[in-house]
Amino acid sequence: MTKKNQILMDRLAEAARQGKISRRQFMHHSTAAGVTAVTATGLWTQHAKAQPKSGGTLRVAQHDGNTTDTHDPGVYQSNFDIGLVHSHRSFLTMINPDGSLGPDLATEWSATPDAAQWTFKLNPAATFHDGNKVTANDVVASMNYHRGEASTSAAKALLAGVTDITDNGDSVTFVLEAGNADLPWLLTDYHLCIVPANADGTANWQSGIGSGPYKIVELDFGTGCRLVRHDDWHGEGAYFDEVEVLVVNDPNARQTALVTGDVDTATLLENKTLGLLGRNPDIVVENVASGQCLTMPMHTDTAPFNIPEVRQALKLSINREELIEKIAFGAATIGNDFHHSPAQPYWPSDIPQREYDPDQAKSLLASVGMEGLTVDFSTADSITTGAVDAAVLYAEQAKASGININVVREPNDGYWSDVWLVKPWCMVLWGSRPTPDIMYTLAYSSGAAWNESRWENDGFNELLQKAKAELDDTLRAEMYRDMAMMARDDGGTVIPYFPNFIYARRSAVGRGDSLSPAWQMDGYRYASRWYFT
Amino acid sequence: MSMFVIGYYAALIAASCLAAYFQRRQVFLLLFSLTLVSFVLGIIGGVPALRVVTICAGLLALAAGTSYAFREFLIQISKPGLAKELRTAPLTAAFGMFVIFTYAIAGVFAPWIAPHGESEVISSAFAPADESMLLGADQLGRDIFSRIIFGARNSVGIALVATTLAFVMGALAGLLAAVKGGWFDNFIGRTADVIMSVPSLIFALLMLSIFGTNLWVIVVVVAVIYSPRVFRLTRAVAGNIVVMDYIEAAKLRGEGDWYLIRKEILPNSTAPLIAEFGLEFCFVFLLIAGLSFLGLGIQPPTADWGSMVRENATLISFGDITPLIPAAAIALLTVAVNFVVDWMLFRSSGLKEM
Amino acid sequence: MGDLLGLVLKRLGLGLVTLLVVSILIFFAVELLPGDIAEAVLGQSATDETLAALREQLGLDRPAIVRYFDWLGGAVVGDFGVSLVSGDRVTDAIADRFLNTLFLAAYAAVIAVPISIFLGVVVALLRNTVFDRVANVVTLTSISSPEFFLGYILILYLAVKTNAFPAIASLSGDMTFGELLHRTFLPALTLVLVVTAHMMRMTRAAIINLLASPYIEMARLKGMPPWKVIVKHALPNAWAPIINVVALNLAYLITGVVLVEVVFVYPGVGQLLVDAVSKRDFPIVQACCLIFAATFILLNLAADVGAILTNPRLRHPK
Repeated sequence: MTKKNQILMDRLAEAARQGKISRRQFMHHSTAAGVTAVTATGLWTQHAKAQPKSGGTLRVAQHDGNTTDTHDPGVYQSNFDIGLVHSHRSFLTMINPDGSLGPDLATEWSATPDAAQWTFKLNPAATFHDGNKVTANDVVASMNYHRGEASTSAAKALLAGVTDITDNGDSVTFVLEAGNADLPWLLTDYHLCIVPANADGTANWQSGIGSGPYKIVELDFGTGCRLVRHDDWHGEGAYFDEVEVLVVNDPNARQTALVTGDVDTATLLENKTLGLLGRNPDIVVENVASGQCLTMPMHTDTAPFNIPEVRQALKLSINREELIEKIAFGAATIGNDFHHSPAQPYWPSDIPQREYDPDQAKSLLASVGMEGLTVDFSTADSITTGAVDAAVLYAEQAKASGININVVREPNDGYWSDVWLVKPWCMVLWGSRPTPDIMYTLAYSSGAAWNESRWENDGFNELLQKAKAELDDTLRAEMYRDMAMMARDDGGTVIPYFPNFIYARRSAVGRGDSLSPAWQMDGYRYASRWYFT
Repeated sequence: MSMFVIGYYAALIAASCLAAYFQRRQVFLLLFSLTLVSFVLGIIGGVPALRVVTICAGLLALAAGTSYAFREFLIQISKPGLAKELRTAPLTAAFGMFVIFTYAIAGVFAPWIAPHGESEVISSAFAPADESMLLGADQLGRDIFSRIIFGARNSVGIALVATTLAFVMGALAGLLAAVKGGWFDNFIGRTADVIMSVPSLIFALLMLSIFGTNLWVIVVVVAVIYSPRVFRLTRAVAGNIVVMDYIEAAKLRGEGDWYLIRKEILPNSTAPLIAEFGLEFCFVFLLIAGLSFLGLGIQPPTADWGSMVRENATLISFGDITPLIPAAAIALLTVAVNFVVDWMLFRSSGLKEM
Repeated sequence: MGDLLGLVLKRLGLGLVTLLVVSILIFFAVELLPGDIAEAVLGQSATDETLAALREQLGLDRPAIVRYFDWLGGAVVGDFGVSLVSGDRVTDAIADRFLNTLFLAAYAAVIAVPISIFLGVVVALLRNTVFDRVANVVTLTSISSPEFFLGYILILYLAVKTNAFPAIASLSGDMTFGELLHRTFLPALTLVLVVTAHMMRMTRAAIINLLASPYIEMARLKGMPPWKVIVKHALPNAWAPIINVVALNLAYLITGVVLVEVVFVYPGVGQLLVDAVSKRDFPIVQACCLIFAATFILLNLAADVGAILTNPRLRHPK
């Protein structure tokens, strides 16, 4: 190896140690530097994979923590809750770092051919923090908490298709109304964690006892918590001795805490500081493509949005590239007016990208006599950073089509109750859903409570039902492609982009080869997956 | 030693000598102490430090010169009586008037002065300054200079209206309460207590969530929040005056309440009220900025200095000066207003010594 | 002094009435807010059924008046109820945070009040000199920048660049008093910068206002040195407005520091209140507002008593 290549290799090794490059990049560059593939693999293991060490206390600056947060899985809402539940409680299944589905409490699962009955076998080694074993009874109680007439759970709709859950001793069986091939994916939802059952069969969420990798030592909602490792955890990982989560709601405070070393990792950073922060050699910024989605749903049953040409014109009047560049600072994946992200399975890659075309928009409007259209567009700062800016920019772009978009900044407070689903055109940020079926069922199917664009398309609904029970992946992918085309050309939702997750860690913190696209912070499983190098 | 350093000290010493020769004691002391300080500074900071001093001195001289010229200009164009008053204005007050005047012009003629539209996107985000953009671009690629100009109209206008309204309501209630006394005094006092005892941001948050974020609602809510402060001050000042003998005498003469307020109490309580006006103006400004922090302020894309600071505040951690520009605009205006207020305070206090 | 005691008692009585009015006002303001606690708790994922179920569980289906008197009945005997969201006792939820807020306010006040009165007297003495102008410009600039912005600048220079103070003022139980002071220095300093200017300028204005009075003229003509004129003759008569503005600012230090809490991650009661408002958690909102109101009423009473003590003429209102 030449001296130059030696320097390159050293740099690569350093980058690998800090987790700045993936294994694939490492292999690619190493072989370019004249190293054989076998040696490169060896080097990778030696440098980067240098077995995660146990020990240390990870300090986390977490956004979106409120004094009103709770242990109640039915009303989990804040990111602090979601982060905590992935550390101290377990689920039946989980999303792996590479985006595939993996086991958590359930070791294996199978369905009847019509996908209407699913059986999950439980891990016999799993225990709660108080030493009790996790039994099928606990699982049934936890799931029933979200079901039934009196349930106040936000996940009630998610389990609406489940007619019965039975306890088979070492496994549980879900009986569904109709086939649902996505049930194992559905069970990764953050509400559906497993808590101990009371003697009367109800779920005991109040104690805060879970079966996750870390148990709670101290907790003050709105301030933070301290967790220690649960030594009998059934999974692999959990390298830190302790995890301290500090609620830091101000983005600037999170960032400075990370820079000064007051914390080891920080969630949700502002995109506009991305480039500046990346220059700091002690800090690694993670920029992970996600299934989150910025949507702009119009009520398709309300004038003027009931005219397909108007919807089309509005979709043509948005310059997605400019929005990504200026609002997301490049950290986003372009949207194409159907709510199916490349980070989700079955993504159709061959659908042509819709471009910014004010002239065509103008002629479309002229064809239905709606030149010089004026519409109100509701948004709020709290939706996502830059939400109001995005609306303002869109309004500027639409002027070229002769459309006058009047941006209304609504109060943050009460946005979800008074604006979303109420005002005819607003902005929404959807969290990541694991599969397209779950997303489409929630917000695009006929009669769904959250059908935010009030879109009723028979062809789409029919395909949705068919795809749900289809266990053949190729056939399913084709169906999702057809549905995407319908949503794109007829639907009432403008989709500018899928924002990436932006978070950062100090370089002393290591992580695996890839990061889960489900949530911030490696699908919020950082506590069990990351380690100090 | 460079030519700059030699020139620097030569100029300072020459100026000190001149001042001494013409018996200007204050000027001489100032210049000579600056010379002495510069020796120390020059040794510690080297040439760059001296350059900074030069630039600061130049700016100050420029400001002083502008103020002087502006005062002369005002004296020339105003009527003899007013001109006489203006002659007593110190340079700081003239500077304050100049800044207020400039802001007023900028606000009134914003569409003609600003090179670009208020919400017009003309370049990439955070583009640096060039000949078409005096101060560079903001996070959307809009011209910051143009937005500052439009902001003068929106922010200052709203703050001014709200402060004035707060003063009219608060001062009137305070004076009436002081004169009438009794249950009226108590009633107004308790009402003010109720309003003040709810934290202002929370009060605004509640009211604006209930009544919507219309511009007039903002103005009225802000005025309602601040009027009790004015009330309390007026009440305290007027309370001290009401117990004076001359008020007693006027009351015995059979003068009405309105006469007492207008002729006896108000003239004797203007000083603290005027001082308060200058400060309340800043507070109102900041409250409106704080409201946009909660998403309840002025609607976008309307340019507003408070929101302009907030939008890019995090960049300050990386030494980017973008958020400092609107903040400086706010600071400059409040300093200017308070300079003028100080002068008026000085005049109304009846002090003749300088 | 008997008069004064009577006055204090009367004012305390009135204070209770004020608190009652505040509680009514807050209750109905929270009622009038768009949306209710059920919608706020369930957020984006609410459905009609779950909303109805949650409302029933929390007793929100009863009329507002009934709920208010229910709460009032408890409050009179010192029971402020339980948080609707977490189910914790309101007093438990608030106690720690309120102590933190008081600590920070006291910290800032101990620095700010003496400095601003001292500076106020000094600039009154040196009025219209360079020192006066500089103090003027500096304090005005500090109050005319938004407080979160001041906080960011302090963090940049005192935490990020020099590492002299921690950027985050989070507290933990096992800190010594010295550590506590060090850790909370930056938020305290921010607050000092915010309130000093106001108090200083009022002190200055109040003193200058008196300088034209005949008795000051007299003192000056006697040949008294200027500082003595101000400290001995002007200041005692200027106390009323000064005490007033100090009371106002102390109240601000306790009630108005939400933004500083957010910037420095300080676990005070302001953040709790904002969270509770956004979740429509009425018992917490009510308790916080009443604490703030009580603080305010007591400070005002203290200011009025102070004013009366310094101006005997006020002791015999007509």
